[in-house]
Amino acid sequence: MSKEELKISKSRNYSKLIRWVAGPVILLLIWQAAAHYYNQPWIFPSVTRVLSQLAHPLRQHYASGSLLSNTLISLLRVILGFSLAAVVGVTLGIVMGSVTFIRDIIEPVIELLRPLCPIAWLPFAIVVFKLRTLPQLFGIDYSHTIFDQVQLGMIFVIFVGGFFPVLTNTLDGVTGVRRNYLLLAKTLGASRRQIFFHVYLPASMPMILTGLRQGLGLCWFVIIAAEMMTGGDSGIGYLLIYASDNSAMDIVIAAMLIIGAVGALLAFLMRRIMHSFVSWKPKEV
Amino acid sequence: MTSRPNKQKLPEKQAALEIRGLGRIFHSDLGSTVRALQDIDLTVCSGEFLTLVGATGCGKTTLLNLIAGFETPDEGFIRLSDNLQFGENIAYVFQHYTLFPWRTVSRNVGFAMEMHGISRRRRKQKTIELLSKVGLTGFENAYAHELSGGMRQRAAIAQALAMQPKLLLMDEPFGAVDDSTRTELQQMITELWQENHTTIIFVTHNIDEAIVLGSRVLVLSERPGRIAHEYKIDLPRPRNRLAKEFTNLFIEIRTALSGQLD
Repeated sequence: MSKEELKISKSRNYSKLIRWVAGPVILLLIWQAAAHYYNQPWIFPSVTRVLSQLAHPLRQHYASGSLLSNTLISLLRVILGFSLAAVVGVTLGIVMGSVTFIRDIIEPVIELLRPLCPIAWLPFAIVVFKLRTLPQLFGIDYSHTIFDQVQLGMIFVIFVGGFFPVLTNTLDGVTGVRRNYLLLAKTLGASRRQIFFHVYLPASMPMILTGLRQGLGLCWFVIIAAEMMTGGDSGIGYLLIYASDNSAMDIVIAAMLIIGAVGALLAFLMRRIMHSFVSWKPKEV
Repeated sequence: MTSRPNKQKLPEKQAALEIRGLGRIFHSDLGSTVRALQDIDLTVCSGEFLTLVGATGCGKTTLLNLIAGFETPDEGFIRLSDNLQFGENIAYVFQHYTLFPWRTVSRNVGFAMEMHGISRRRRKQKTIELLSKVGLTGFENAYAHELSGGMRQRAAIAQALAMQPKLLLMDEPFGAVDDSTRTELQQMITELWQENHTTIIFVTHNIDEAIVLGSRVLVLSERPGRIAHEYKIDLPRPRNRLAKEFTNLFIEIRTALSGQLD
């Protein structure tokens, strides 16, 4: 690349960067101006007030903890619930996809429960699991760690949120596996178990990863909604509703920004993992 | 594997497989039935290179799939010699989707050995050997979509050879490659056959290919598929396409095939 070309490509990169930043900056400027004009921070706080909340993520808000601690609690719940949904969803999806008998039995139940909003499960889950936490499941009453904030009911609701997209995508992936690959593996001497691990699993991996990405996104939606329901006592969704009840709009908006950012980060990470996992890309020839 | 008729002692010692009165009927959803194959009687000798020609839809692939155990016969039976075993020494090369797209070339070639629990070191050594045999040295880490059509078929042949097959079934394996590549691949498979004397059953719709490769050519008739003609080919290898005997045979088979079309 010549010097001139280098200059051009550099200036192109700059102009792209400027365009990328321009939108958010304009939005923030309008917001700041409007907040000044209204001058009612309990309804419409200024950018600077929200930023100052974000700049102090460890500040305790009444009895509800800090922005950071509540974010971590929500994340931990999602990671645990989602992991459970991923393992169960992928396994069941592959089994259903490869054994017609099992699929025929389970599919009607799945189709019946799938349209149900995961949040609708919350009252039921809280009654069934009471307020039992993860450590209590292992016989420890109080572990004095963040795990004491992980209620089984919450995990259950997140599990429901993540389970269906993972299952249906895995199922689609498995049923889409070409018969040729199964025949090929069979003639090359693969047993049923080997076909499961060496054909069904890798062949449906692109669809499985799509399901996991959708599932994780949905889990993050669900946890925020679940924490905002009555009965919640921690989590970023809880802090949001608590701050709203106390007219602390700056904390509400700071929490919203954090929720959006964490969601975007999770989506980005999943995309990254996906790319490294299916380096062959779904290209069949 | 689908159930197969009991193996019985074969009369001829070197027969690899014997087919008697084989028939296959397909039922469409609308209730009509199509006879794909009828009254197939065939004995394939051990070490033979058998080619099957016929028009598209004459049931040659069905016959191959029946031998491979992918489908079950509606009439008659197929008897395999005792030393032939599904998943052990019967290999199949398809026309399309011949390689697992999520595995590299060398892991595709090593698939059969991996399934049989052969050690990684032995696998690697054998894979390198096979890839050099099919002329793919240097492509160990390529994926199927990164290879040309001819190279994919080379890799697929190496994958099949890795199980040291006694019977090699090939369903129009060179049907999707260009002419010059096809000639190269034909040369390669001939050399491999001369080296190992594997029994090969090779399906093609290309008459020229059938004569170049086969030690015997079977011509299948259309609907129902029956064995219409049989030609023993004793021409020396590598075969000269311009030799008088070759062209005469070509015209003969061509005539036999077009006779069906009329």
